[in-house]
Order: sequence, then structure tokens, then C-alpha cells
Amino acid sequence: MVQRVRRNGLFGVLKDLPRNIWDSIFRHPLPSSDLGRAQTSFTNFFLHIHPVKVHRHTLRPTYTFGLGLISFFLFLILTVTGILLMFYYVPSTTQAYDRMLDLRGSVAFGTFLRNMHRWSAHGMVAAVFLHMCRVFFTGSYQSPREFNWVIGVLLFLVTLFMSFTGYLLPWDQLAFWAITVGTSIAAYAPVFGQEIRFLLLGDNTVGQEALLRFYVLHVAVLPLILSLLVAVHFWRIRKDGGLSRPPEADTELFESQAQTDEPVREIEPASATLAAGVGAPVGDTTTGMMGVVKRRYGIQGLVRGPFTTIGNVPDNSVFSWPHLFMAELFVFVLTVAGVLVVSFFFAAPLEEPVNVQHPPNPAKAPWYFLGLQEMVSYSAFWGGVGIPTIEVLILLLVPYIDRRVRGVGRWFARERLLPNTLFLIFALTNVILIIIGTFFRGPNWEFVSPW
Amino acid sequence: MSMTKKAIHKPTAAEDELTTRRRFLTWLSGVGLVGSAIISIFSNLIFIKPRATYGEPNRFPIGRPEEFPPGTRISIDDKRVCIVREGNRLAAISTTCTHLGCIVAASETGFACPCHGSRFDQDGNVTGGPAPKPLPWYQVNLAPNGELEVDKDTEVPPGTYITV
Repeated sequence: MVQRVRRNGLFGVLKDLPRNIWDSIFRHPLPSSDLGRAQTSFTNFFLHIHPVKVHRHTLRPTYTFGLGLISFFLFLILTVTGILLMFYYVPSTTQAYDRMLDLRGSVAFGTFLRNMHRWSAHGMVAAVFLHMCRVFFTGSYQSPREFNWVIGVLLFLVTLFMSFTGYLLPWDQLAFWAITVGTSIAAYAPVFGQEIRFLLLGDNTVGQEALLRFYVLHVAVLPLILSLLVAVHFWRIRKDGGLSRPPEADTELFESQAQTDEPVREIEPASATLAAGVGAPVGDTTTGMMGVVKRRYGIQGLVRGPFTTIGNVPDNSVFSWPHLFMAELFVFVLTVAGVLVVSFFFAAPLEEPVNVQHPPNPAKAPWYFLGLQEMVSYSAFWGGVGIPTIEVLILLLVPYIDRRVRGVGRWFARERLLPNTLFLIFALTNVILIIIGTFFRGPNWEFVSPW
Repeated sequence: MSMTKKAIHKPTAAEDELTTRRRFLTWLSGVGLVGSAIISIFSNLIFIKPRATYGEPNRFPIGRPEEFPPGTRISIDDKRVCIVREGNRLAAISTTCTHLGCIVAASETGFACPCHGSRFDQDGNVTGGPAPKPLPWYQVNLAPNGELEVDKDTEVPPGTYITV
């Protein structure tokens, strides 16, 4: 804790005011000791969702590629740009499109903010999907992370629905016809199909009521659901023991171990189960055995005394401050920079204003729905409702079907050949359908060659 | 009363009654809470289902028979019907694709949908693409003032013409 400055007299109080205010907000100076590093993350509201210490394996860039973080940061960008766009948008069929033109023509940074919002939305769909692939191919959905996988699948669906409700709002040709098609797909759902369509549109056709409903869903209902699910998703990571990692990551010392954080270590002399030479920790009680170190747990909130040592495991963890936070900051800066660059060079499309009498030919959804649209062109029920429902159900149930916990924490583990192959086929099928829908379909949805 | 002296505490009749009453009240509270939750979900659904809509009416006039000369097929896109006149017979065919609701355009062989490539013949029967049903035919009436009126709430069998 920082020693508060105390001086007497009005002059003294005034003189110390800035310093005292500063110190009451930031309780610790930039940490130079392990205790300080721990306290920095432990006592900060925004940082304490992280553990004080994090496993080295978690920090490997090639393990996660930061995809979950990227998804979350894109959601933050979407929230900020979305709120800014709300200052100028009116969800009215007579005004919405004009407001789009105003954004382009007369609002400062209007085009740029809309570009950022659009490209972040596309990026988020891609990042969430790739994140799901990462989790699958590293076997990370397996016990005890089954439920977090389920939350993740729900988050993917909400992301898609966010995007779907978003593109009605400009009230251009793409918006109108995509929603016409999308809600007609919903009408193919068994039993309640027509009811669902009517509730979504608030009318029998796409019009003012539908625009208002999609607006409310897009700016209030779905972001709330998404935020709630994200909170549970993050919380569950902590409760499930951090990110997944291979079992050997807990029993072997990482080679980079010897370089940092030396002071908090103590050699466990009795155990010689592990091969010597896996790292060479320094300590004052070395008795010739090397390799196994007792893991220490500090109870910072209560005790400042010596660490408690638990279990015969090597300590492969590092302090979140600065290792994890710098990595996260790096991903954040990279994500923002990427969105800024893309938004600078590419304009978000805005088609002709709605013409309810003439659908564009071909009428195409955004790229991530073109796989669905391709399937729908064969059969509305099976392509639009049947197969997607089965796919989602299987995704939700995967961790409860594949119960063998093996190959966790390694990309494409040999033991997981069957599930990985099946998932690869699932992912590739959707990618191929999207490519067909994007490049090989022309007027009247007939096959065309892109060359 | 000292519990340590009794190895097994045998509930008295009064205690039994108390336990039963407590369990019953717990059960009743549970039913009440779950029931309230279900009722509130339903009332929300009822709230967001509009009772009145502001869209286009399903019965509308389309003009006098002279405006549709014999042998013509005229699509009225904002009403989503195609008026077919053959001699002195007249009918209205829907131009909303039965697949996913796009407007079908008149083609040389009948109708074609730009969204997913469904094709229909002159009478609205499916000749290709994913459309599951033929285009419906609607009731046409000749109003007393001499205007034709299409009623999209009433479907008629394909091939049903009125004489004008």
C-alpha cells in the first residue's frame, strides 16, 4: 500500500490534494516486486477478472492465436461505433436511407464510423468461427469445459443474429430482400413458423414495424444477451482452471522457466520422478535434485507473509502483470489497427434504396450467410431450417457425445483424429458452400463461372 | 431436550404434521414462482404480437376490365399479383415466390424468381428450382361500380377465371 501523504493546515491539504486523489484511485505504484504484481491485478476492478498468475502455456501465441480476445475486442469496437451511429440514425422507412446518405455526406467521420462498424461485424463473425475451430481442434471443449463450449456455440448464434438484424437498418435493397428471404426461412420452421415470422416482422410483410423491431433487437435485446453470455463465458474460463493445456504442461517445466520470476520458488528435494535437466530453477534449498518445484499460492487479500506451498507440481505460471496484460494489449492494438486500416481503404457497401417491387438479381445475403442461401436454393426447409438445426444441435452436444478426455491442449492431436476430421469436414463444407454462393452464382441463382 | 441422549430421533405426530405442511408450502411456492414465470413469458409474447397491422390490405381494387386488354399478362408489382386476360376471361396469379417470398418476374415461359432460381409456367406450376408449391390464384370480383377487385385472402383453384 502507498503511504498516504499527511500534512496539516489548509495549505498543506491543498498542496497534497492532487497526490492524495491520485493515490486513492491507484493504490499501488507500478509494481517492481511480485507482491506488487499480484496486487496490481488483484485490486483493480478491470483487471481482477484475470487470475493473479497465469500458466505459461496460455501465453503461447500459436496456441490460441488470440482469437477469443479478437472477437471480444471487435465486440467492444462494435459497441462504441454502434452507439455513435445511434446519434444520427432513425429507424423509419422514410428516413433510414437518407440518414445513411447523411452519414456519408455531412457527418464528421460518418463514413469512417460506418465502415468500422460494418467491417468489425464481418470480422467478428469470422473471428468467432475461427475461435470455435481453435477450441475444437485443440480438444478444449472436453471435460470440464463442456458447458463453456455450449455458451460459446450460443455466442456464435447470437453473433450471427446480431449481424442479421443489423443489415435491415440501412433500408437499402440488400437489407429489404435479405430480410424478406430470412424471415421466410423462419416461416418454414415446423408448427410455429408462421407465428415466428409474424412476431419478427410485426406485420405480414417487411415494413416499418419490421424495421423498428429489428432495430430494438439490434441495439438493445441482443447486445444485452451477448454481454451476459460473454460474462459467463469469461467467468467459466477461470472456474474451469484457465485455458486448456496438455497435461504435460503441468508436470514438466517449461524451458523458458529459468529466465524470469526466480524469487518465488523453492526446490522440492524429495521428488525425483521427473528427468533432471528440464529447466534449472534456482533456489536456496537445492539438494542436488532438479526439476520439480512446489507450486505456491498466495492469499494476497489476507496475508502478506510467506507463500503457501501446495502440491508437487512445477510452477509454470507467470504473473498476469505484465505478461498477460501486455499480450492482451498487443492483441487489442492489433485488432483496432486492423479495423482502422480496413475501414480507411474499403467503404461499406450501400445499395440502392429499397424498391419493394424489384428484387436485385441475384439477391445475395452477406458472405457468411451465402452458404445458408446456397443450401436454401435446393430446399427451403432442409437448407434453411432442417440441416442448420441439426448442425447446431450436434455442435451443442459435441462435448457430451465425445467423452474421452485425451489430446487436450494440442493442435490436431493424433488421439483425436476422428472428431477433428469430422469437424474439419463440417467447417470445410460450410466454407465451400459460401465460396459457391459468393463466386459461382449469378442472375436467377444460376451457375456462373467467375472467370 | 437433549439430542445426545437419543440415538434416533423419532418424529412425533406434531412434527410429522409440521414437516408435511412445510413440504406442501414449499411445493406451493415453487409452483407459484414457476407459474408466474411462465405467465409473464406468455404475456410478453402476447404483448409483442401486434393486434392491428399497418401494412397493405389484402382486398384491393385494380381498375376496370378495359385496362387489361385480351391476351395480356400485366404484373402489378406493388400488389404482388399478375392479372391474366384471355379473351373475356380474367384471373389473378400471385407473384410472390412460394419459396422465400421474392417477387417473381414474368418470363417467356411463365415466371422466374431472381433469388433462388425457382421457375414457374404460365399457370404458376413449378417447372424448376426449389419452390415447393405452385403460385396461388386469387379470387377476382367485379364490383358494382365496374372495378375489378382482388381478394388475396381467398385462394381459388388454378385455372379459375371470371368472365368480364
